[in-house]
Amino acid sequence: MTSTYIRNATWAPTGECFDIRLAPGHSQTVPELGNLTICDAEVMPAGQMNIPERARVIDATGKLILPALFDLHAKVEIEGRSKRESVTRTGQAAVQGGVWGMLVQPTSGFMFDNSSALDSFRDAVGQRSAAEMIPAGCISMGMKGEQQAPYNTLAARGITILSDAGERPGNLLMMHRAMKYVAELDMTLAIRGDVPSITANTCIQPGTTSYKLGLHGTPPCAEEIGIEIIVRLAQDAGCRLHVQSVSTAGGVEIIRRAKAAGARITAEVALHHLLFTHEDIGDYDTNYKTLPPLRDKADTEALLAGVKDGTIDCIVSDHTPCTPFAKKQDFPTAPQGMCLLDHFLPTLYTRLIKPGKLSWAELVRACCVNPCTLAVPDVMDPAEPEGMPLLLFDPEATITVCQDNLPCGTINTPLLGQTLYGSVTLPLQ
Amino acid sequence: MSTPKDLLTIESLSDADIRNILQGAAEMKQVFCSGKTHPALAGKSVLTLFYEPSTRTRSSFELAARRLQADVTTFSVATSSVVKGESVHDTIDTLMSMHMDYIIVRHKNSGIPAVIGRHAKASVINAGDGAHAHPSQAFLDAFTLQEKYGELTGKRVVIIGDILHSRVARSTSTILKRLGAEVAYMGPGPLVPLQKHTGIPRFTNWDSVFEWKPDVIYLLRVQNERMDTPFFPSADYHQAFGVTEERLKRIDALDLSIMHPGPVNRGVELCDNAMEYRNSLICNQVENGVAARMSILSYLTPRTQNND
Repeated sequence: MTSTYIRNATWAPTGECFDIRLAPGHSQTVPELGNLTICDAEVMPAGQMNIPERARVIDATGKLILPALFDLHAKVEIEGRSKRESVTRTGQAAVQGGVWGMLVQPTSGFMFDNSSALDSFRDAVGQRSAAEMIPAGCISMGMKGEQQAPYNTLAARGITILSDAGERPGNLLMMHRAMKYVAELDMTLAIRGDVPSITANTCIQPGTTSYKLGLHGTPPCAEEIGIEIIVRLAQDAGCRLHVQSVSTAGGVEIIRRAKAAGARITAEVALHHLLFTHEDIGDYDTNYKTLPPLRDKADTEALLAGVKDGTIDCIVSDHTPCTPFAKKQDFPTAPQGMCLLDHFLPTLYTRLIKPGKLSWAELVRACCVNPCTLAVPDVMDPAEPEGMPLLLFDPEATITVCQDNLPCGTINTPLLGQTLYGSVTLPLQ
Repeated sequence: MSTPKDLLTIESLSDADIRNILQGAAEMKQVFCSGKTHPALAGKSVLTLFYEPSTRTRSSFELAARRLQADVTTFSVATSSVVKGESVHDTIDTLMSMHMDYIIVRHKNSGIPAVIGRHAKASVINAGDGAHAHPSQAFLDAFTLQEKYGELTGKRVVIIGDILHSRVARSTSTILKRLGAEVAYMGPGPLVPLQKHTGIPRFTNWDSVFEWKPDVIYLLRVQNERMDTPFFPSADYHQAFGVTEERLKRIDALDLSIMHPGPVNRGVELCDNAMEYRNSLICNQVENGVAARMSILSYLTPRTQNND
């Protein structure tokens, strides 16, 4: 069988060109690609590969290659759809958006607080998902924040990251004890900073928009105090902490300080917190209702600076499918959440890379290397690497976001009708 | 050019809309006070849909609609399918099947009338949504002040009390500013949003209010029902922020007007004597409420079939 070759593709972070032979099952650590291990492909500097005359060759001149992305924060469950359909559609959305794998947050339909829930999820994922789906175990039973989930059972099933999917950390004593327990199991707790008694019944950043719309504001200090609390508790417990959904400039600063002091923490920002502010809510546009809420412009700038200097390790989608009806309700009633997964890489490219706000090297670090290191370390382990797949990106292509190109089937994205640059080929073929 | 379908906020209206509705209110007041009716809404159906308790606003709207010869239906939320968990959309679909031309809605959540307005062909009038807007109150307030002062340019109105939860403060301050008046807010710290968020001067004591030299003292009701956790020490409220007997004397000496959207908590916002104060416009507000609402109803253009 003849192989397929991709000729003269540009490695996005450096601009160097490479030839690629598609080779399923082959993995290779490539020094020129930042020492990353690539799977299912053989990579050589352009012109050095011996390409047979009759081989199938794709000319990739002007197109970019980069490692496919890994999304550390996504919800898969789509209300009103079966588990299998939810998994299939989300997998399609991920791959279209350039994401080969994701850490799946527990939700009411995928409550990863017991082994049978994990089995049934893995069964649903089976051959149906185009993307890898790694479950995050629950921190507490039913994500209620009262009783610890069975961490040993979850660890035995391969769970390494625990999360209550951004639910407010209710009982801090329970949390502290959970941290001490999982420190012994070498698991990571993923938690969002919040003080529930301050943020109850709020849904928007306090400011001009909250005043104009008559909505209760979620003070940034509540998130910042919350981050300070979980960082201190995790340090005390000796537990690895991943701070989810950082949305404020103050939060970035707290994490920067804690990292400088040697804390074992990582942090993420949702893409929408880099792109939008509370002013985008306009006249109650519920597609902009997120958790935490969209903040000020100064926050988006501080978050982006945090990504660039490594304070914020990962950019995540925080993909949260909502039904059109749910989002048609009034702002206080509508659920929080946005779907940017279906066009994740084109959105990152159009809004951050193309305007020069983020470099490809920074994107690869925040959307691939760092999340993989956290969630799928085998992919990164130089001793016995499995490797990560490459994707091909055509920066000249354009797409106008519409219902037909949202495979997830949920339309709670403010990008509807907007034109994005770039198209993704994943897997390479 | 047709007039707007809905009245959701003051912001959504043009200067001409505001001027026309206020002018209409003056005309409707003559009709109303002479005990006559006006055929503007003859053959039309008006529905009041109040998800929150209300006496004066609801009766004011119903009276206004009847004086315009409309058929008026009252949808009683407490005994309806709403308590069985029906969504607002489904309620509206049901009501639209009854061919309503005007829906007057009040709800505890900000933004509900806008959701209904997008969904319904009927004209939707916001009779108060959460802490967002209460445009008919704004019109009756502006109309009352125009009756008293004529031109409002340069007139100073201080709105006192629970600004944070007040849709009246938002809508009335907006219309008064559009008409050239100056507005300031005063109240307990946690209940007065920052000036950088509102664009409106912010005071937290009476001394600064008097220093600002207002023409009108507009008091708001303390909305205990919207405060899940206390915002201020309630025992201090009257002394710190209310119109006490002593402050009433000063207000009288300066010949200032007093307004209040009602219902008044006696002994909290106002001392007893303030209710009978010679420059109190509180009863004028109620009377003008009917005229302003008649004007609003006759100004809007529903997109319902029987309007074509």
